[in-house]
Amino acid sequence: MNKQKKVNIKLWEKVAYISGFFSLVICFLLIVNYVQYKRIEPANTKIIDILVERLNKNPEDIELRKQIQELDLLARKAYFTNQWQVRTGAYILAIGVLILVISIQILNSSKKKEPEILLFDKNDYLNSHKSARKWVSMGGAFIVLLAMFFAFLTHNELGVKFAMAANPNSDSIFNAQNNNSENDKSNTNVLENDSSKTNTENASVNDTIIQSDTTSQEQKLSEFPSYKEIMANFPTFRGPWGNGITYKKNIPVSWNASSGKNIVWKRTIPLKGYNSPVIWGDKLFLSGASSTKRQVYCIDRNTGKTLWTADANKITGSPANSPKVTDDTGYAAPTVATDGRAVYAIFANGDVLAIDMEGKRIWARNLGTPVNHYGHSSSLMLFQNMLIVQYDHKTASKLMSLSTKTGKTLWSTPRKVKISWASPIVVYTGKQTEIMVSSDPFVASYNPFSGKELWKLDCMTGEVGPSLAYADGVVFAVNEYASLVAIQIGEKPKILWQNDEYLSDVPSPIATKKYLLIVTSYGVVVCYDSKTGEKYWEQEFANGFYSTPILVGNTVYLIDKMGGTFIFKLSDKYKQISNPQLGENVVSTPAFADGRIYIRADKNLYCIGSK
Amino acid sequence: MKKKIIFLILLILLSLQVYNALSGPRFPKPEFESGHSQPTTQSPSPRGIIFEYIDVLLLIISLSIASWLALKKRSRKGIFWLSIFSIIYFGFIREGCVCSVGSVQNIALALFNPNYKIPLTAIAFFIIPLIYTMFFGRTFCAGVCPLGALQDLFVLKPYNLKSWVQTLLGIIPFLYLGLAILYAATATDFIICRYDPFIGFFRFNASFMMFAIGGIFLLTSVFIARPYCRFFCPYGVLLNLVSRVSKRHMTITPSKCIQCKLCENSCPFGAINKPTQIKELDNQKTATKRLIKLSLIIPLLAFVGGWTGSQFHENMAKVNNKVRLASQLYFQNDTTLNINKNSIDSVEITTFETSGKPKEQLYAEAASIIDDFYYGGWIYGTFIGLVFGLSLAGLSVLKYRNDYTPNKATCFSCARCMDYCPVEPDE
Repeated sequence: MNKQKKVNIKLWEKVAYISGFFSLVICFLLIVNYVQYKRIEPANTKIIDILVERLNKNPEDIELRKQIQELDLLARKAYFTNQWQVRTGAYILAIGVLILVISIQILNSSKKKEPEILLFDKNDYLNSHKSARKWVSMGGAFIVLLAMFFAFLTHNELGVKFAMAANPNSDSIFNAQNNNSENDKSNTNVLENDSSKTNTENASVNDTIIQSDTTSQEQKLSEFPSYKEIMANFPTFRGPWGNGITYKKNIPVSWNASSGKNIVWKRTIPLKGYNSPVIWGDKLFLSGASSTKRQVYCIDRNTGKTLWTADANKITGSPANSPKVTDDTGYAAPTVATDGRAVYAIFANGDVLAIDMEGKRIWARNLGTPVNHYGHSSSLMLFQNMLIVQYDHKTASKLMSLSTKTGKTLWSTPRKVKISWASPIVVYTGKQTEIMVSSDPFVASYNPFSGKELWKLDCMTGEVGPSLAYADGVVFAVNEYASLVAIQIGEKPKILWQNDEYLSDVPSPIATKKYLLIVTSYGVVVCYDSKTGEKYWEQEFANGFYSTPILVGNTVYLIDKMGGTFIFKLSDKYKQISNPQLGENVVSTPAFADGRIYIRADKNLYCIGSK
Repeated sequence: MKKKIIFLILLILLSLQVYNALSGPRFPKPEFESGHSQPTTQSPSPRGIIFEYIDVLLLIISLSIASWLALKKRSRKGIFWLSIFSIIYFGFIREGCVCSVGSVQNIALALFNPNYKIPLTAIAFFIIPLIYTMFFGRTFCAGVCPLGALQDLFVLKPYNLKSWVQTLLGIIPFLYLGLAILYAATATDFIICRYDPFIGFFRFNASFMMFAIGGIFLLTSVFIARPYCRFFCPYGVLLNLVSRVSKRHMTITPSKCIQCKLCENSCPFGAINKPTQIKELDNQKTATKRLIKLSLIIPLLAFVGGWTGSQFHENMAKVNNKVRLASQLYFQNDTTLNINKNSIDSVEITTFETSGKPKEQLYAEAASIIDDFYYGGWIYGTFIGLVFGLSLAGLSVLKYRNDYTPNKATCFSCARCMDYCPVEPDE
C-alpha cells in the first residue's frame, strides 16, 4: 500500500469536537435569534403605528415627530442588525461545519480499514446484468405510462386554442389571399359571363355576407372585421391588405363623362387631396386638406350625398403651422382606412385620428411633424385591431402600430431608412402574417403583433414611391433609379430575378402567381412572368400614369393622368377591352364595389356604373 | 518550498476577491408591505472581466493539478485538499456561477437562439473540463467541481448500491440533460440552475425548499456517496460519454494487477469493474442473440419515446412563463369552463393587462412556443428512447476482463481505491 504520513489523531479529534460543539452553539444561537425576531418583529412594530396615528391627529407636535423618528431608527437598526446576525451566523456555521467534516474525513482516512474480500460474489456479472435489464425495461415502461397518463389527463389542445385566440379569423382571414392565384381562373370570366356557375356561387356567398352583415349590425360588432367583411369591402389603399387585387363583380367597362354614359353621379370634394376613396358597406370615405384645414368625408356611395364631414382640428401636439409640401403631394396624400367600426386618417402634419361610422371622433393624436420635402404620403393599413403607420421621415423613420380603439402605440419599430412615400401591405405567407414595407435601402418584413423585424433585403435606393406587390411567396419591389426586384421571402430572403429596363417612381405594381404588371409614370406598361422575369409584353401610352392599377378578377383597370382608363386582360398578350374617358385629370387610385367604380379626379368624385 | 509557493499564489488570488465583496450592492433590497416575497436570484452579482479570466485560469490550473494528483502523484490526500479549495473558491467565492454543469444550458440557448450572446466564461467552463476528461478521465469530478466536492466531504459511511439500482438511477441524468436542453433551447428556463441543490449554500440565499433539498442531498451523501453527481448531474452525462474514450485514465494499480481483491469494495461509487469469470462467458451466444434482438427494437423504442414526448409536449410547455400566462388568460375568459377564477394568479394577469400588450400577441407567441415544444418533445422523447434502448443493448454485451479496472464512464478519479492497492509502482 502507499506510504502514508502519520496523522495526529488526537489533534484532529480535538478539532472535530471543538468545531462540532462550536457549530452546535452557533446553530442554537441562530434558532434563538430567529425565535426572538419572530416574537418582536422590529420592522412591524405597532408602537410606531400608534404614534403615527396620534401624529396625524396632531401634526404640529414636533416632540412626537422626533420620538417617532427615533423609534423608527431603532426599529430599522434592530431589523438590519438581525439581518447581519443571520448572515454572519450562517457564514460562521458553514465554516464550523466545514471544519468538522474535514476533521472527520481526516480521522476516517487515518483509521486503518480492513478491505472486505468476498469469497462468493453475491452480485455476479450475469445476474446483475439480468436484473439491470429487467429494471431498465420496467423503468422505461413506467416513464412512458406516466407521461401518457398525464398527457391524456391534461391535454387541452392548447396550441390550437391559442392559435385561434391569436387570430379569431384564422380559419379564413388569409386563406383566400393565399388562394388568390388559384382563384384567378374562377374570376377570369367575372366580367364576361355573369350567368356562369362561378358567379352564381359568388353571388350566394355575397348574399350570405350581406345577411351576416345585417345580422352583425343588429348584434354587437366584433373587435375587428372578419376576412369576409374585409373582402366584401374596399377598406384601404389598393383594396384589402393593400395588394391591388379585388374580386368585385359586374364592373362596368364603358363610360363617358361628357355624355354622362354610366355616370351614376359626380360631385365635388370641398378640400383637395391626392388620396383615394375607400368603401365600407354603403359608405365611401376620403379626406381633403389645405394648409389650415383638414377634413374627413363620409359619402353615401349610392347617392353621392355627404353623410358627414369630420374636422381634424384641436388635436393635442398638432403643430400650429403645417409643414411645407409640394403641390403634387399636398396635405392629404395618404389614403384613409376603415374597418367598418371607424375610419382612420392621417395628414401631412402628423395628425392621425379615428372617427366612428357616424362621424364622431373616437381619438386623435399627433405623431410628430414628419420631415418630408414633398409631404407625407404613406397610406394607412389595418390588421385586426391595429392601425399600421409607415412613418419614414428624415429625422426618425419608424413603423408603428396604433390601437384602433384608443390610438395608443402598441409597438413602434425604429428603421434605419430614408424617407419613403410607399405604403405598407399585409401578407399572409401561408405560415404567418407579415407587414411588408419598401424604402431606401431595404425591403423589410415585420411581425404584426410585436413589430419585430422578420427579414430585410437591401435592394432599393432613391426616393421610394411605389408600394410592394405580393403573390405566391414572392414580393415585388420597384423604384426609379433602383431596380425591379422579385424577392422570394423567408428568414433568408433571396432575389429571384431583377430587371432595370422599366422602373416606376409613383404607381405600384400588381402581381399574381403568373404575371407581374409594372406601370411607369412616363407611360410604359410592362407585363412580366412573375416567376422568371421574362417579359410577356410592353405597351406605351401617351399620357403617363400616377394612378396605381387595380386587378379585378383578371382584368386590369388603369387610369392615366388625363383621366382615360385602360381596361385590359392580364394575360400573355396585351388585349385591351376598352378605353373610356373621364375628361378630367386623375392621380388617385379607383375604389371598387359590386357594379361600381369610384374615381377621384382633380375636382370631382365620380361614381360609375349602370344607372 | 514548492508547496509554500502554491499556497502563496492561492492566497493572493483569494485576497483579490475582496474587490468583489466591496462591489456588492450598497443598499439592502427593498422590503414590500404587500406581502410580495422576493424571488431568489439565479445568478450572482456580475464580476469584473479580469476575474472572469482569472476564473478560467484557475479552472485550468485546478484541472491540471487534479489530473496530476490522480494520474501521476496518485494522491487521495492531494485531491481532498483540492476539493476544499474548489468548495471555497468555485463554490463560496464565485457563488457557483458560471459552473460547468449549468453551462450546458448557455450552450443550448446560444445554439438555438442567435440573439443570445453567450459569455466566454460559459463556453470555457463547458469545454475545458470536457477536453481534460477526453485525455485524463473525470478529474473535473474528482476535486474541481464544487458540487461534487461538497458532497464528497460528507461521504462518511458509504454503502454500495446494487448494480441494477445504479444502472437504473444512472438513466435519470440523461432525462434531466434532455429536459434542461429543451427548456434552454426554447428560452423557457435554466432548470439546472433553478433546481441546483447546493447553490443556496454557496450564496447563503435560497428558498427554504431548496435549502431542504440541498440538506437532504448532503445527508444522503453520508451513506450513498455523491447522489447528485451519480444520479442527477446532467453535465456528468457528457463527462461519462467523453471519459469512455479518455487516453490516459487513472488506474487502480500502479503496475500489474495481482487480483488480490483488496480494492474490490473500495469505491464508494461502485465504479470498479471486476474481472469476468470464465463460466460467465459461456453464455456468449445467448447474449449475442439478445443483443441482435435489442438492436432491432432500438428504432422502435426511439419512435415510442418520440411519440410519447410529442404527446407530453403541452405539459412540458406549461413551464414557460408566456404559455402559463396565456393559459391563465384563456381559461379565465372561457366561461364554459367551471374554473375557480380566484385560483388563477390575478397579479400576473393584471400586470399583463396594464402593459397594454394585445392578448392576441401573447396567444400567438404562446402558440408558437407550444409548437416548438411539440417538435422538441419528439426530439427529446427519441433521445430518451435511444438511451433506454442503448442501455439495454449495453447490458447484453459481455466484456471480458482480466483485472480490476476503474469504470472509465462512472469513475470520478477520486483516488480512494489506490490506497487499497498493495502493488508498488515499477521503478
